[in-house]
Amino acid sequence: MFILPLVAILLGIEFSLVFNRVTHDYEEKLKANYSILVVSKRAISNEEFFSIDPQIADPKPIKKGSIAKEIAKNIGSVSTKEVLKSLPYFYTIHLSNYLSSEEVEHIRKKLLAYSYIKKVETFGESHSSKYNLFIFLKVIFWVFVSLISLVSIFLIIKQMEVWQMAHKERMQIMEVFGASVMLRSGVLFRMGIIDAIISTIISAGLFAGIKYKWADESGIDLLIEKKDILFTTQDLIMMIGVALVIVIIAVIIVTFSNREIRE
Amino acid sequence: MSNVISASNLTLAYDNGKKEVIKNANFQVKKGEFVFITGPSGSGKSTLLKSLYGAIKPTDGSLIVGGLDLNHISKRKLQELRSHMGIIFQDYKLINEWTVAKNVVLPLIIAGYSTDIQQTQAQKLLRHVKLTEQANRYPLELSGGEQQRVGVARALSKNPFLILADEPTGNLDEYSSSVIWDLMENACVQLGATVVVVTHRIPHIFNTPHRRLIIENRGIYEVH
Ligand SMILES: Nc1ncnc2c1ncn2[C@@H]1O[C@H](COP(=O)(O)OP(=O)(O)OP(=O)(O)O)[C@@H](O)[C@H]1O
Ligand SMILES: [Mg+2]
Repeated sequence: MFILPLVAILLGIEFSLVFNRVTHDYEEKLKANYSILVVSKRAISNEEFFSIDPQIADPKPIKKGSIAKEIAKNIGSVSTKEVLKSLPYFYTIHLSNYLSSEEVEHIRKKLLAYSYIKKVETFGESHSSKYNLFIFLKVIFWVFVSLISLVSIFLIIKQMEVWQMAHKERMQIMEVFGASVMLRSGVLFRMGIIDAIISTIISAGLFAGIKYKWADESGIDLLIEKKDILFTTQDLIMMIGVALVIVIIAVIIVTFSNREIRE
Repeated sequence: MSNVISASNLTLAYDNGKKEVIKNANFQVKKGEFVFITGPSGSGKSTLLKSLYGAIKPTDGSLIVGGLDLNHISKRKLQELRSHMGIIFQDYKLINEWTVAKNVVLPLIIAGYSTDIQQTQAQKLLRHVKLTEQANRYPLELSGGEQQRVGVARALSKNPFLILADEPTGNLDEYSSSVIWDLMENACVQLGATVVVVTHRIPHIFNTPHRRLIIENRGIYEVH
């Protein structure tokens, strides 16, 4: 009887877990793909970069040998070595967190404060549009999950009222004949636990289906690529745990709100 | 003989003591007695009976049932006491989702008896109340008189030391009424149970006169 709302809650939780994992992954990817170009008059060590801002990660010098060769060839009168000497140092740096445009701009200013750093290119446009889309998706998703949870909790409360009505008489009669709380509500616990197990099986089955069958057929790259994070054993344990906690709380509330026979 | 029920200066009230139904009443019921409680409608007969199985607590005075002070009784003790009582309600209070046979052995289920004992006891009890045929039916498929016979069988199923009945034959047919009175008389005379019956119409099927108490103007008095 609790199955429908329980399944809704379990699916909501599982969806948010998967969503978190996917977005975390996506965030990592955005981070890895996003880089800032730094042009400097002198060589900068990794430690120097980290001391400028701790969020700077993975600085890499850009090899300029081929550029120098190309320039030397075009000019003719200078050697590659001479060109190399006069060219500034180029670095790409990454960021350890996914930052907003303002924060990126802040780091850019910090870098430019050093006189030997001539230019910092942040490719601001593409960064901020991706970031905004990302935040937008996150907000939409959380609103959706919150709504589902709200409706489910409402359904569970309704269901508890139905249970209360259906079992009130029996529990009161048993109480008059001296039955303990456990004996009176044993049936409810049994039904609740069965409901919890069934809803877990349904929810887990759905995600297992998505993971092992639908993901491959869907043709959605992200799903195929990230199949592993769709559904895990820990998720299963978490689902049954959450379902049991919900039904046990519900049964306890129903049991203790059904008091003595009053005429 | 010892008292099974002993009330002194007993006051029973509703609405947090504002509505007093019984005030400063004194009475005792001895072991093995069969007592009728009468009185006008609304005088507090059902209220008194409810206090005897601990559904409402005295607001004043003391009430001792089966040697236990109902003013200061733990939940566990009250459960224990109730499991040795047989309570019969005017509106039967059967569990409609259970078969007649299962209803009859509710006290045995609560006491944790094996299903074998439950079954043999159910058969025996249903024979006594002449409902052998109806064992596997559900309460709502039975007539009022039949349902009350199930209620009486249930009350007697674990040989209670105290039987409490509230208008057990309220509006039942002659046949069911006589079966019920016979069973209660029997439990009292042969099994030594103490019986307290609330009724406003004392049946005249009894040869020996029974003790009678009347509730009037919030007091409880002996009728001679
Ligand atoms: N739960 C309650 N809350 C408040 N007042 C109550 C409650 N139950 C009964 N009463 C009142 O207590 C008084 C006694 O009620 P009780 O049911 O004990 O009477 P009774 O003698 O059994 O009557 P009857 O013969 O009609 O069954 C009545 O005035 C009744 O209205
Ligand atoms: Mg009454």
